[in-house]
Amino acid sequence: MNARSYLCAAIVALAALAPGSFAGNLDLSTVPPREGVQLTIYNSEDITLVREVRSLSLKKGANHIQYSWANTLIDPSSVEIRPLEHADEIEVLDATFPGDRPQQLVWNIDSKTEGQVKFQVTYFTSGLSWAADYVLIANKDETELSLDGFVQITNNSGEDYGNAQVRLVVGVINLVEKIQDLARRGLITEQAAADALERRKSEEGLTALGYVAGFAVKDAEAANKPAEIIKEGLSEYFIYTIDGYQSIPNGWSKRLASFHARQVSFDVLYRLRPEQYGARPARFFMLKNDEEHKLGTTPLPDGVMQVFRDNGRDGLSFLGRQSVKYVPVKSDIELNVGADDEVVEELKQMSVERSSFSFDRHQLVDGWDETRLLRYEIRNYKGKPVRMEIRKIIPGDIELSAEDARLFDYQTVEFAREVKPHDKLAWEFKYTQHLGKNARQNTIRVR
Amino acid sequence: MRHSLTATWTPFLCAAIVFALTASASARIKLTTLPVRERVEIQLDNPSATLVEEERIVTLLAGSNQVDFSWANAAIDKATIQFRVVNMPLRPKTPEDAASILRPDGTVEMIQVISVAYPPNENSLVWEVFSEKPFAARVRISYVISNITRSFDYRAVADHDETALTLSNYIRLANVSSEDFGPSAVWAGFGDVFQREIGANEAKQMLAWKFPAVPIRKTYTFDWYRGQVVPSEPDQRYVAMRYVLVNDKARGMGLFPLQGGKVRIFQNDGRGGEAFTGEDWAKLTPIDDEMKLYLGLARDVVVRRKIARNDRHVIAGNLFDQDVVLEYRIENYKDSPAVLDLLEDMNRLRDDLCGAKDHDAQWQIVPEGTTVQADRIERKDSRTFEAHLPLDAAPKGETKVAPVIVAIHLQLKNEW
Repeated sequence: MNARSYLCAAIVALAALAPGSFAGNLDLSTVPPREGVQLTIYNSEDITLVREVRSLSLKKGANHIQYSWANTLIDPSSVEIRPLEHADEIEVLDATFPGDRPQQLVWNIDSKTEGQVKFQVTYFTSGLSWAADYVLIANKDETELSLDGFVQITNNSGEDYGNAQVRLVVGVINLVEKIQDLARRGLITEQAAADALERRKSEEGLTALGYVAGFAVKDAEAANKPAEIIKEGLSEYFIYTIDGYQSIPNGWSKRLASFHARQVSFDVLYRLRPEQYGARPARFFMLKNDEEHKLGTTPLPDGVMQVFRDNGRDGLSFLGRQSVKYVPVKSDIELNVGADDEVVEELKQMSVERSSFSFDRHQLVDGWDETRLLRYEIRNYKGKPVRMEIRKIIPGDIELSAEDARLFDYQTVEFAREVKPHDKLAWEFKYTQHLGKNARQNTIRVR
Repeated sequence: MRHSLTATWTPFLCAAIVFALTASASARIKLTTLPVRERVEIQLDNPSATLVEEERIVTLLAGSNQVDFSWANAAIDKATIQFRVVNMPLRPKTPEDAASILRPDGTVEMIQVISVAYPPNENSLVWEVFSEKPFAARVRISYVISNITRSFDYRAVADHDETALTLSNYIRLANVSSEDFGPSAVWAGFGDVFQREIGANEAKQMLAWKFPAVPIRKTYTFDWYRGQVVPSEPDQRYVAMRYVLVNDKARGMGLFPLQGGKVRIFQNDGRGGEAFTGEDWAKLTPIDDEMKLYLGLARDVVVRRKIARNDRHVIAGNLFDQDVVLEYRIENYKDSPAVLDLLEDMNRLRDDLCGAKDHDAQWQIVPEGTTVQADRIERKDSRTFEAHLPLDAAPKGETKVAPVIVAIHLQLKNEW
């Protein structure tokens, strides 16, 4: 516990008090510490399911358990308690949220047993998040790379979590209200909204995700070995369970290795798509999240990839960074590492000719064709061949003749060319655009 | 509360090793002995991001070690910080090595980063490093840092006869990151690696490459539409002078693309000195491309241009062709011969003569009426032609300069 915030469970000594008369009359007899905590953190929404284990001393009959969470971001509507022992002898009758004491509740528990009983408290909190990130280092020749995946957990929940078992959920869930809003608003004024959230969670199976299995209570220090991250699929989700226990104080972030892939083969491809990547050809590292490429054990969550290359002088070159969207298994990974000064592309329009004129009743030109000759040149100053894909948008009614041209869509033509090392390649193509009355449609036809 | 060394080491980057086998992350004690930098390399090959790599000897104990890395007043991109052991101890793989990094040769690295913790509101991080044995690890820490920028400058010294020049390519490193790197290796992405002392808030200029005796062409360009207007002379435009050099191997260059930057141009004055003749911004010049350096206006080459003919021929309806003859009157007052390049933008010429259109000009050069040899007229692209005209030197003595008059007959086709 720290000074800024606290979560505490207190056993209320005055067992005979009626639920409505707690305020101002309670004394704390004990504050049982957490004996274990599990965090299930989602990356698509600001929500974390917290399961903590605490031992409470019960007496037979009515017990009042006060639970408070000052300065945290807990959704009060989500706080639940259930016994892990003597379940058939213990009944949680109700939970009372005192109107004059925000971020606090009192459970009324009827017990037929006496002594220390382990309970599990669960709740949703915001402020805990995780994100994947990756470090890619290509070899000097850009034929193989190493790819390291990481997960970084950030705790801004207002609460310290020590020795926590951490599970990270990859996948998109639906929330009808933000947990942070619920935490700020409290329960009393928005009970209906909270009920809706509870119903939704039930419908969507969200709660079930957090209750997949029980978890061991941890009482030892974190192991001095790298934490292995166990990846399991569950329905449309993927759960990363971090082996061992992690301590993440409020305000801190912690980054752990998720996977290491070595000798991953990849291709280099150049793309010229001015509307998408700018005027110069963009260089791409193309790899695949599959076993053949020594990846593919799990989907890769959204994250930022830092891209380096061995500079051949016992050091690294920083090529750039790129946000990578969720990459399913067997899917491609395309990394734009920017322009390359050693691969030069030039496009020139060499000529324009007009023909096929038509005239209106005033003898004014109202239809014609324009035939343009375009010339591409690619120069490769690298010591290995480069493959270039070019997309050119040509709007209008177009008839195009070009070797190896193919349509990407109705107004975009594609060329793919390979240029030998230290060589240049030039080619020309013609297209005729029907204009004015001659234009019948808005598409390219390749002849 | 963590101890801070920032007061003693500002500005600083420090790596501190903490032998904290049991310490929690929120109650760490830093060791006061800081491993000094053994080596620093500043990589300037990426124009938008500078990568710094530094090496320190970190003495690791067997088991878990916490290594602090903190910085003050330096804009380090946390996400890019890498921790790599250069002299990694290796051992054969065992069945228990599921989580270990297996090298391609089947060996296992005996030092691994278990986690990285980032304290709140601090420019620092803590690596938890597991070592299988006590080991003095040479650790390379790499990070992208802002406020270290590179720029390129050139010094071009032309021979007295302006047929060749010596091009010196300088890289200028400006370090306003507030970090004193000390002796560092600096690499621009090409050329040599420099060993220099890189202090805080200082700039360093280094000669990256020198290209001696690069053949050049001095060009004189008359461009009616882009040239500078001569006051009170509506039929004149100033002639622009340039040095043109080609970044190719045939001219002793072509080793790497020349980065853009300011070029200060000098000329050997023939008496052992150099005269400053101007400066220009050079664009990024890929291999085999031309670098054109603007020198200023030529006052001794005078060109006047007029449209000697402008006849329209109706084809049908409002469709017509237009015959245009451009006539140039050229006088070379220089005491040396020169080649004049005449440039015309056919779209703008067409707009002038036929009214502004939203389509490209269709045009051709008509041999009849053109007094320039066909092989001296170059069609650069669909809207530009360039004629290259050799000019004789001005006659010596009191003989007047005789103007050269040339005509180019053009046909603008299918306009309306």
